[in-house]
Amino acid sequence: MVLYDSATLGGSCSGSSSSSSSSKPPPLQQRQQTQQDIDGLLAGAGYRVRSSELRKVAQRLERLETAMVNSPADLSQLASDTIHYNPSDLASWVDSLLSEFTQPPTCPSEFIMDPETNQTVVSDAWTTAEPHMPQVHQNISYEQQSLNNQLTVDNQLTVVTAMEEDSGIRLVHMLMTCAECVQRGDFSLATSCLEDMQGLLTRVNTVCGIGKVAGHFIDALSRRIFQGIGGGSINGGSAYENEILYHHFYEACPYLKFAHFTANQAILEAFDGHDCVHVVDFNLMHGLQWPALIQALALRPGGPPLLRLTGIGPPSPDGRDSLREIGLRLAELARSVNVRFAFRGVAASRLEDVKPWMLQVNPKESVAVNSIMQLHRLLGSDLNRNSPIETVLSWIRSLNPKIMTVVEQEANHNQPGFLDRFTEALHYYSTMFDSLEACTVQPNKALAEIYIQREIANVVSCEGSARVERHEPLSKWRTRLSGAGFRPLHLGSNAYKQASMLLTLFSAEGYSVEENDGCLTL
Amino acid sequence: MVQTHHCEDHETVGEDKEKRPKFFINDHVDILIEILKRLDGRSLCVAASVCRLWCTIARNDSLWENLCFRHVSPPPSSVRSVVLALGGYKRLYTGCVRPVRSRLGRVRRASWAGDEVQLSLSLFCVDYYERLGGSNSNGRLVGESSPSSLMFLCKPVNV
Repeated sequence: MVLYDSATLGGSCSGSSSSSSSSKPPPLQQRQQTQQDIDGLLAGAGYRVRSSELRKVAQRLERLETAMVNSPADLSQLASDTIHYNPSDLASWVDSLLSEFTQPPTCPSEFIMDPETNQTVVSDAWTTAEPHMPQVHQNISYEQQSLNNQLTVDNQLTVVTAMEEDSGIRLVHMLMTCAECVQRGDFSLATSCLEDMQGLLTRVNTVCGIGKVAGHFIDALSRRIFQGIGGGSINGGSAYENEILYHHFYEACPYLKFAHFTANQAILEAFDGHDCVHVVDFNLMHGLQWPALIQALALRPGGPPLLRLTGIGPPSPDGRDSLREIGLRLAELARSVNVRFAFRGVAASRLEDVKPWMLQVNPKESVAVNSIMQLHRLLGSDLNRNSPIETVLSWIRSLNPKIMTVVEQEANHNQPGFLDRFTEALHYYSTMFDSLEACTVQPNKALAEIYIQREIANVVSCEGSARVERHEPLSKWRTRLSGAGFRPLHLGSNAYKQASMLLTLFSAEGYSVEENDGCLTL
Repeated sequence: MVQTHHCEDHETVGEDKEKRPKFFINDHVDILIEILKRLDGRSLCVAASVCRLWCTIARNDSLWENLCFRHVSPPPSSVRSVVLALGGYKRLYTGCVRPVRSRLGRVRRASWAGDEVQLSLSLFCVDYYERLGGSNSNGRLVGESSPSSLMFLCKPVNV
């Protein structure tokens, strides 16, 4: 599912230079001041900045960015009306731009009033002497400077939000560094990274935003480093637990509802005119998708068909036949609305264990195959036998279904390189968490988050057959499905309309339905 | 004598008045129903608190049916049996149609009225299904959760 990018991680390029400073002993300070102390690395890029001013310039850049982002005014006038200094003299350029923002009296909000002097802080900072400002090292590197050091210098500039952002940005950088260490196999450095991150985490707000996501990723990384890549404990969550989490995920955010309703609409349209229909569901769970379909079939012009439903699900322990219970409930619903209904449950712990004869498909009936986020689990390549995805796709094809509905996450989490996977997952799941926050507050949210957290843990900390969350983007699925003999069917405008209405009902900001060459993405 | 005259006068005046029959709405239930049929949801609920007769009438599902499908033309015919099986029109209205309409009202387009009802019906069905689960089995399946698939409709949006 393609998600709206709410860009929590955006705009961090200016932050990197501010985290690069580290303290140097005073003797070096004198030496550098006597030289022509233009910073060498930036000079290579065409910018002339004094090494002594690097920190100041970086802070100004950050503040400029905040001001630009928060500015209510139209920024285009900045491009046409103002006079800019030569940007290669970076310090004065940034100052001139900042002065553009300080002049209008209507935007004082982005500058924190210095509590003691009660003046806008910008003018103060330039003139105050900062005798203990640390000198900048010639080689700009990602030194993990502790936040306290920066605070003593910045006590005039108590820009709280920038500090929060800074920690968030720093966390992200540290996560990337740690992941890189893991990929290289340098576990000792990775462990020290982890400790630093956990320390940093205490200073960041972990209730929402980047702190929360980072917390989950740190957990997943530590699991990978300390428990190895088996990661069996995550997947060992019982089927019952999974069902509960899935249910809360269904409630808390619109993704699953969107998936169900859209798939139902497609199946309904495909079954138009047929009297004997059979639906195969690859993951029955609580069967929440099917009441709506049963109701729609009951009300279709021409009367309801005979509906058979085959639900596949994991075998339940302690003798309780959850599949059969769900089937009974669905049957009762169907009976109330006068739809002839038959249910069959197939218990299988993995999808590749299911054989087509288990489904008992009648040649005269029209078949629909419905897979909600199940096919990606089959993508683990096992060199001993045929790739499971191809096996499954071929037997689905042999059933000759009228329609096959596939719902998958729109993400690229199946790359062979760990770092690439990690980066993608970080981006994807932080957007996912943001979208969850945009939904109205419900008690389900915490459990929905645990559901997502399990996915994260699987993507990051498992390998081989234990890693089942192997998401792939739409284009790859398209190729794979057409390779297996399926022709893409465009979802009609009815489906789009229904999806938009459903989204409006959720009254959450930032969601939108998009059509992507016949597929709907949320 | 005079008094009786007066009384007679009064009585004749009164009789004139009484010749016009006093109109109690409660005596004419069919008219009452026609009026109540045209009310909106909130007024109908208020009307149900007027007196026992009104309460009984307002509880009648056909009034709520009218309320649900008022904006939909032509009114769907076969829906009745389904809706009654799933819990009745009043429940459909209060649980699904009203919140759906109020939330979609901002972006209402003329063609959506029928689709709104369809969507409400689907959501209503899911809700019925969940209620089934709670009451039916030993309840271990759905556990402690009451039917909650419509919760996203109930919670007021409080930004």
